Parts: sequence; structure tokens; C-alpha cells
Amino acid sequence: MNIKAVAEKAGVSVATVSRVLNHPETVSPKTKAHILSVMEELEYMPNWFARNLHMNKTNFIALFVPDILDPCYMELAKGVEDVAHQKKYNIMLCNTESDENKEKEYIETFISRKVDGLILVSTLLKEEDFNQIKKRGISFILIEKREFLHDIDVVYTDYKSAAEEAMEHMIEMEHNPIAMICGRKPYFENQEKLSGYKSALAKASLPCLEEYIEEEENTIEGGYLAAAKLLELKTPPKAIFATSDMMAFGAMERIKQEGFSIPKDIAVVGFDNLKVASVVEPQLTTVAKPMYRMGLMGARLLFDLMDRDEGPPMEAQEILIQSKLKVRRSCGHKDRLKEIL
Amino acid sequence: MVLAVDFMGLHLKNPLIVAAGPWSGSSRHIKEAFKAGAGAVVTETIVSEPCFDVNPRLAYDGAGLQNIRRYSNKSFEDWLRELEQIKNENGVVIASVLSQSPSEIGYLAEKVEKAGADALELGLSCPMGEGVEVIAANPNRVYSLTKAVVEKVKIPVMVKLSQNMTNIGQVGRFVQEAGGSGISAIDTVRCILGVDLQKRKPFLPTYGGYSGPPIKPMGLAAAASLAQSTSLPVCGVGGISSCEDVLEYLMLGATTVQIGTSLVLHGMKHMTKISEDLERWMEKNRIENLSEITGIALKELRSFDNIKVEPKMVSVDGPCHRAECSACTDCCGIYEAISKAEEQIRVDPEKCKGCGLCCYVCPDHKFSLVRR
Repeated sequence: MNIKAVAEKAGVSVATVSRVLNHPETVSPKTKAHILSVMEELEYMPNWFARNLHMNKTNFIALFVPDILDPCYMELAKGVEDVAHQKKYNIMLCNTESDENKEKEYIETFISRKVDGLILVSTLLKEEDFNQIKKRGISFILIEKREFLHDIDVVYTDYKSAAEEAMEHMIEMEHNPIAMICGRKPYFENQEKLSGYKSALAKASLPCLEEYIEEEENTIEGGYLAAAKLLELKTPPKAIFATSDMMAFGAMERIKQEGFSIPKDIAVVGFDNLKVASVVEPQLTTVAKPMYRMGLMGARLLFDLMDRDEGPPMEAQEILIQSKLKVRRSCGHKDRLKEIL
Repeated sequence: MVLAVDFMGLHLKNPLIVAAGPWSGSSRHIKEAFKAGAGAVVTETIVSEPCFDVNPRLAYDGAGLQNIRRYSNKSFEDWLRELEQIKNENGVVIASVLSQSPSEIGYLAEKVEKAGADALELGLSCPMGEGVEVIAANPNRVYSLTKAVVEKVKIPVMVKLSQNMTNIGQVGRFVQEAGGSGISAIDTVRCILGVDLQKRKPFLPTYGGYSGPPIKPMGLAAAASLAQSTSLPVCGVGGISSCEDVLEYLMLGATTVQIGTSLVLHGMKHMTKISEDLERWMEKNRIENLSEITGIALKELRSFDNIKVEPKMVSVDGPCHRAECSACTDCCGIYEAISKAEEQIRVDPEKCKGCGLCCYVCPDHKFSLVRR
């Protein structure tokens, strides 16, 4: 069934039916009611994709995340979706697997399919790639800050300060040595956490020894393997700071298997604050990474950008979303007040 | 006679403002508040990420209220729509916003201004969910958050401070330096209302915010401190439930006041009563304009060095007809200056030190301090 048949049956022109679909305010209520009833009778469904092309927008935005299996990005996606839904937009989700070529391929596909905007999380693209997207007139924003950026809207968390805060908390409890389990991906984010780890040690005049830094895949298995290596050291660490909760869970499993007690023998602190962090035993102290809120703010910035496509350009915005150290039991802290408040 | 006041460059038909809370959590509630006679309404605190509610979240001991609700549970997008709906109402809307980062609070502020808010209040003093110290306890954070907002908007920005900080005057000066237009104080005070002795647990499952008449003396001290240490207009908050409470805040330097808990307990109609009582008081006391009394009691606050020690003792006005009452003799246990025989009350001038406590405890106000 097509629009022509509707027009014929209703005894009006195709243009009038089209106006009912796209600009109903320009059609008299009587005619509109008549055409809508014919549509219903003929079970006519407009081709939304074609229609949106005609309107020069598709009401689709694409969200690029580095790892679809990482629950953090699901929280982020929920934030984006909650805003997009209110704006009557749909989301296409892309898993880049931190692969620059895959990311570029997806972007090309989506631009040719006319999505209205892109949200790039932990992107590996470079300045020239962003310039290319800009030239093609597609609105986009980034989640996670990169040093060289300017004139691009960004939502970010200060991973270095967050890691420093977690480390200072452990140093305050006199855990020494403190090891770090660092995920390989996402690269920039984890490098910032590593730099926070090092600067906190330096501030406290504690040595930073390479043997206490283990790099592994950002998974439970990765955390397990890294902890295994750390426990084999001549002087095993008294505390472990992991760049993700998943890695912290893996480390906890290994520590327990080796017969050590958490936090009495070895304290563990994670990063993310996944929902399960509060149900593992002992409950995991971790840095709450505000992924849901980053998703909300990322989507807001993107819609602002798409809305102001019609208006004069405005200065790009950089929005910092504050993380928070969630003190629980795995760090060995005795101050219950800090845990409650 | 004029009830209207100018506050942060805004013209309010009276100094009574509905405080941020669930009672100002939607355009419907705000319209109701205007209908009840509020000079302005502060919205419930609007945040980037809606705040989930817990149940139960209120407990009351007959005097004060503990709540464990933090911020609005409405999405930011919903709030923008709510504000659009009330921007043409005949009343001043002050949007309360909060974020922990300057760039984010600046973003929220700019959006609510665009949606129609007439002014902003930065809710930096909630005693729950923000760590051991409230955000406003750190003057540098107050400065950077206020400055970020002031740079983004044209409307006046007020910052809400709290009893949960040591030097409120200093924090007030940081607000002023950052370009803030006013200060409201105080937010609720961190509390545990009490413990259920049978169940052996606190009434509510976490630390909360205490509000209502018991916190008024703290609110008054905060309002006076701010009026004496900054030149910003002050909005007095805490424990206001009558016209007299309003007047006390005004006499201690507040230009406006906020009312919250008494509206929860008595309904929005209570706002109308306070407003009418205020009008009657002005009429009776021949006050043409509230500015005549604003800050009038501040000059009576002085340092210990300047308190003149006058020889005073209490005098009793007539016999006491309350056979069972021993409030005056009980409260004079330290000095043993008051004795009661049948209906006769006697004050021993040698023993009376003129402390003044009996003047407050006597239910019939029989005692007064006189010069020896």
C-alpha cells in the first residue's frame, strides 16, 4: 500500500496526504480526519525512513562504546537512552572493541545512512578524523577527554584525580606496598588512572616499583592473572588497586584461593562501582564512575548541538562529572561513618 | 502599608518564600504556593540525575522533623518542561540546582534560566549523600561552583549554606567574592531523630536532615552572622512556623525568609495564615514598610566586653495559683533563691544572681528582671 492509493481513495492529491503526514497543521481538520480514516481503512503505514530522509533527519543517533560486554557502558547507554527517548530519538549501538579501524568503518556507515548525531565513548580517533566528521556536517560529542581537543563538546571524569583519591585513602590506612592492576583497554582512561596511582605514591614519598604494576585484559580473568603474578612476588602487596571492578573481582578470587584474607592480609579497591560491587564478599570499596550521568549529559550536549545547528555556533562545552570514592569493606577501613555518608 | 520587598534585584510581593522540598516539586505545587500567597517559590533541588526515593523517609517527634530525601526524583528534562509551564505565573520562581562539578552546575543553571527561572539557589548544603562534610563546608568549592554559575547566567544566584560548617561568615564572603547575589541559611541539620528502644534501631535507617522549630535558634544565628559578615541580602531559613518567627529573622538582618517544614505539617494554607498575620502585625505596630525593622535587632548583639554588667535580680508579680507547679523552684536549684509556700513565691535577694531562667520557665510569666 502506498501514498498514491491513499490519495486516490480519499479523492485528494498526493501532496495533501503528504501534508497530513509532515505538516498536519496546514490541513483543515475535516480533510485531515477524512484522510486519516482512509489510511486506517487501507492499513497504510508511511515509510518512516524515506519520510525522515525527506525531512532531512532520521531521529537516530549512534552510540559508540569500546566494549559492549562491560556493564559500565550499559549504564552509560541507559543515560543516553533516557534523554533520547524524551526527544523522540532512537539509538544505534556500536561496539568498537577499541579498534580504530572498526570505529572508522562504523562512522562511515552511519554517516552515509544519515544518522543525526554521534556519541563517541573513549574514541581512538585523531584530530584529523574529527575534522573530517565536522566537514560532513554531522553533530558529535565525546565522552572522555583527550588533551589535544578543542572546539569539541566533551563529557568526562577526571580519572587521574579519582585514582589519586582512592590511593590516598589506601595510603592513609598505611597499606604498603600497594600494587596496581591496570587494564589494557580503554587505553587513555587507564593511563590516567595509572598516572594517578604514581602521583599519589610520589606525594606520599613512597617508591613506585614496576614489579607492583601488572597490566592485563580488562576482564575478571585479567584481574585473576594479574593478582596471581603479584602474589608470587617475594614481598606480595598489602593492597591492590584495580582499574576496574571486573579486574578487582578476579583479583579477589585469586587472593582468596591463595588462602589470604581480604582486607586483613590484602586490601582491594576497584574502579566503576558496578551494582554487584556491593554484594560481593567482602563488599568492594571502589571509585564510583558516574557512567549513567555521563550518558545523560553526553546526550544533552549532543541534542544541544543538533538544535543549535540552525542557530549561531556556540563555544564548545567541557562538562566534568565528578566521581566519588565508595568506601566499603574490602579496603579495610574502620571508619563506618565514611561508609554511610 | 507595604509587605513587598526587593531581594537580589527581584520584586517580591512579600518576604515569604517556599523553601526547596517535595512541596515545591512540580509546577502544580508551585502554582498552589503562589495561590496561597507566597512571595516566591524555590523549586525542589534539580539535579542532573534524578534521585531515587527511599521509604519511609520522614520521622517526626512532635517538635522537629527528620527527612532522608535528598533531591528531586524528576528528570532534568521534566523539570525544564515544568519551569516552562510556570514562567508566566504571577510569582517569582527560584530554581534550586546542584551538581558537584562547576562545569555541570553551570550547564544546569544555564538551562533552567532559559526555561524561565527568575533566580537560582545553589543547594550546596544537603547533609546527606555528599560525604562526611557538606559541599558548602569547603569555601573553595563554594567559590568555584558559585562562580561557574554566575558566569553562565544573568539572573541572580543565591547560595544555600548550613549549620554543618564552622565559619559560616567566611563561606558567605566566598559567595560574595564569587559574584553571588544572596545567601540563604540554613539548610537542614544532620541528625538522627531518635532510637526506637523496643526495636533497638534508629527511627530512620540513615543520618538525615533535621528541620522545624528546634532548628530556629541556629537559623537565627546563621542569618545574623551572615548579615554581619557580608553585604549580601540574606534569606533566613529554619524552623519558621509563625509570623513572629518571620519577624525575628527579619529583625536579625534577613530580607526574606523560607518556609518548608510547617507547610508539610499544616498544608500550604499555612502560608496564607502567616502572610495575613504579618500584615496584621504591621498594622498593629504601625510599620509601613518591612525595611523599617530589617536588621533592627542586630545592633543589640555585642561582644562580651561590651555587655554591661548591671546588678539585676528577679521580681515576682503576685501570688502563684498553680498548686502543683514547681518549675521556678526546680530551675533555681543552683542558687536556691526561689522558695514557694502555698501561693506565695519569695525570692531571696542575697541568693538571686539575676540569671533570668525563671522568667522563661514560669508558665504564667510571673518573673521579670529588675535593677537592684
